[in-house]
Amino acid sequence: MSGAEVIVQVIAHEGVEVMFGYSGGAILPVYDAVFRYNAEHARADGSEPIPLVVPANEQGAGFMAAGYARASGKVGVAIVTSGPGATNMVTPVRDSMADSIPLVVICGQVGTAAIGSDAFQEAPISNIMGACAKHVFLVTDATQLEATVRTAFTLARSGRPGPVVVDVPKDVQNAALSFRGAGELALNGYRARLRAVEQATLSDADCVALFAALMQAERPLIYAGGGVIAADAAQALRAFVDAFGLPVTTTLMGLGGFDSTDPLALHLLGMHGTAYANYAVEDCDFVLALGARFDDRVAGVPGKFAPRAKFIAQVDIDPAEIGKVKSVDWHHVGPLKRALERLTAYGRAHELRPQLGAWHAHVAELKRVHAMNYDRASALIQPYAVIEAINRHAQGRAIVSTGVGQHQMWAAQYFDFRAPRHWLTSGSMGTMGFGLPAAIGAQFAQRDKLVIDIDGDASIRMNIGELETVTTYGLPLKIVVLNNVGDGMVRQWQKLYFKGRFAASDKSLHKKDFVLAARADGFDWARRLERNDALESTIADFLAFDGPAFLEVMIDPDAGVYPMVGPGASYAQMITGDFIASRAMPVAPEATTTHMF
Amino acid sequence: MNHTLSILLQNEAGALVRVAGLFAARGYNIDTLTVAATHDPAVSRLTLSLQCDDDALGQILQQTRKLVDVLQVAHPANALAA
Ligand SMILES: Cc1ncc(C[n+]2csc(CCOP(=O)(O)OP(=O)(O)O)c2C)c(N)n1
Ligand SMILES: [Mg+2]
Repeated sequence: MSGAEVIVQVIAHEGVEVMFGYSGGAILPVYDAVFRYNAEHARADGSEPIPLVVPANEQGAGFMAAGYARASGKVGVAIVTSGPGATNMVTPVRDSMADSIPLVVICGQVGTAAIGSDAFQEAPISNIMGACAKHVFLVTDATQLEATVRTAFTLARSGRPGPVVVDVPKDVQNAALSFRGAGELALNGYRARLRAVEQATLSDADCVALFAALMQAERPLIYAGGGVIAADAAQALRAFVDAFGLPVTTTLMGLGGFDSTDPLALHLLGMHGTAYANYAVEDCDFVLALGARFDDRVAGVPGKFAPRAKFIAQVDIDPAEIGKVKSVDWHHVGPLKRALERLTAYGRAHELRPQLGAWHAHVAELKRVHAMNYDRASALIQPYAVIEAINRHAQGRAIVSTGVGQHQMWAAQYFDFRAPRHWLTSGSMGTMGFGLPAAIGAQFAQRDKLVIDIDGDASIRMNIGELETVTTYGLPLKIVVLNNVGDGMVRQWQKLYFKGRFAASDKSLHKKDFVLAARADGFDWARRLERNDALESTIADFLAFDGPAFLEVMIDPDAGVYPMVGPGASYAQMITGDFIASRAMPVAPEATTTHMF
Repeated sequence: MNHTLSILLQNEAGALVRVAGLFAARGYNIDTLTVAATHDPAVSRLTLSLQCDDDALGQILQQTRKLVDVLQVAHPANALAA
């Protein structure tokens, strides 16, 4: 078997159903092996067992693989050529690292003899990717290829998941090898640490300590992050909440980890969190952080985060996250699902039931008084109303991806999220251009689901070439562009912190006709919505269309994202805008330049 | 404050770069660095020293332990060694 065939064989053994990638000289042997594998193993209906989806740009392939991984929980696979193919993959690899998304990326590399010679399409991928992936292998010994590719899958999905890059020189792809069918690299250090974390259990003493604090608390709160989703712990969280009654607020990455329509759900917290979630964080006296890392969009000022909390507990799979930002009173490093199941069983067995009636009433009152709201009387189309209208159809059951900016925050705030893996967003890196390719990847993972990309007019431009990918593969994707004629989020910061000098964030001179662009790429349903009174009927028609559909909505260009906890501000200083009730007189934002971001 | 760390590393191409890169990316300058063979040819021992707040030391040790080719990280002068 050739090295290239070995790679495809391992990928098939790993159960991969679809791959994403773009061809080129240094990866041709692998592409040929994929072609032959699919021809030889064609299904009865003629379909390919491992279709290879081709994007317009490798960045698209990377985000498709990431969207596939986010929507399915499986490892996303991308295959690209050396040099520019591999460097185009850097952004999705870094994005996936920052959001803990499992990927395996196979890159072609120039032949081993040419490495270091500034060969055609050579780039130092192990150096570049080593700085931003979970791990990178440069395979120089062909006999290690099979074990290396198999190990890449184990690394990507184990512990805290992440992207793993395998750089394969062309001569290694062409080497004659025998396929063993089993065996991985030793990686003694990684595996020993992984074993320790995976086997960690909560002792009785740990449970006693946590419940002692919980039973004394009057206003305990769960702060749930993306770890709940990565660890498949949503059901265990549900059971824990049913047993002990703690309200739950989720991070951007945690949306879907707890049913947002539940009375105890406080939805999003942080910089653009709901006012009621942020006030609950201000008021709580106990925090249980689950797979959440107190990042700067949540705890912008760590010392002022949850200022009344007498006890902070943290569970995470990554020991480096414990106390990284905020020191905690109790912690556990281990699999979240098992930890929650153990705590629930312990608390139930000891009949521990916090008496939280007053706190529940307080939370309900916060949700009522400080509900999300906007200018419902405006003649201009309000973006919030667009999301609400889509939400009435989707009801928390659609998969939603986004670009980055205001539209992303509106989607996070105004959609319901009822189950994990329905919300795909570039949380930590905040990469514009994520939405469209991620939605494509998600549709490959969930063929029968409604998948909606809520995008911005600037974000979608970044990977607009992937519009054609949607129609090439006949995906019934629904794409919404909330067009505010510019980089709305940038404008919002310029309004607040740069005296309204809109440097390079206005796109009123841009000429693109998005509807024509979509039509040119084969969208039969492509429309522009410009009038409020057509909103409901247009959305209904759009979502009912049986096939790819593209909707551009001309929204109020001045619509802002509220609430907002400005950089360097505490939750108590949150600005809630004109339509959401604030608890305190908001402090006027500093109109001076800021070093915060 | 000056700290000396002792790291056991798989002797593989790129492993040293990843350790050095981690420190650089997190804002630390490595003052001294020695790489030596061990009795196991697959393992090398890295001894490095850097200036780092005592408070921040635990975090950089934990981050170093996340590198896949790192076998062990110790801080011989300090109880943080593990
Ligand atoms: C690749 C990339 N470049 C730049 C930024 C900085 N940035 C954040 S939001 C934003 C504006 C996004 O505009 P649009 O997609 O139209 O969304 P809107 O805020 O208008 O809803 C920019 C430029 C980024 N997040 N990603
Ligand atoms: Mg915009």
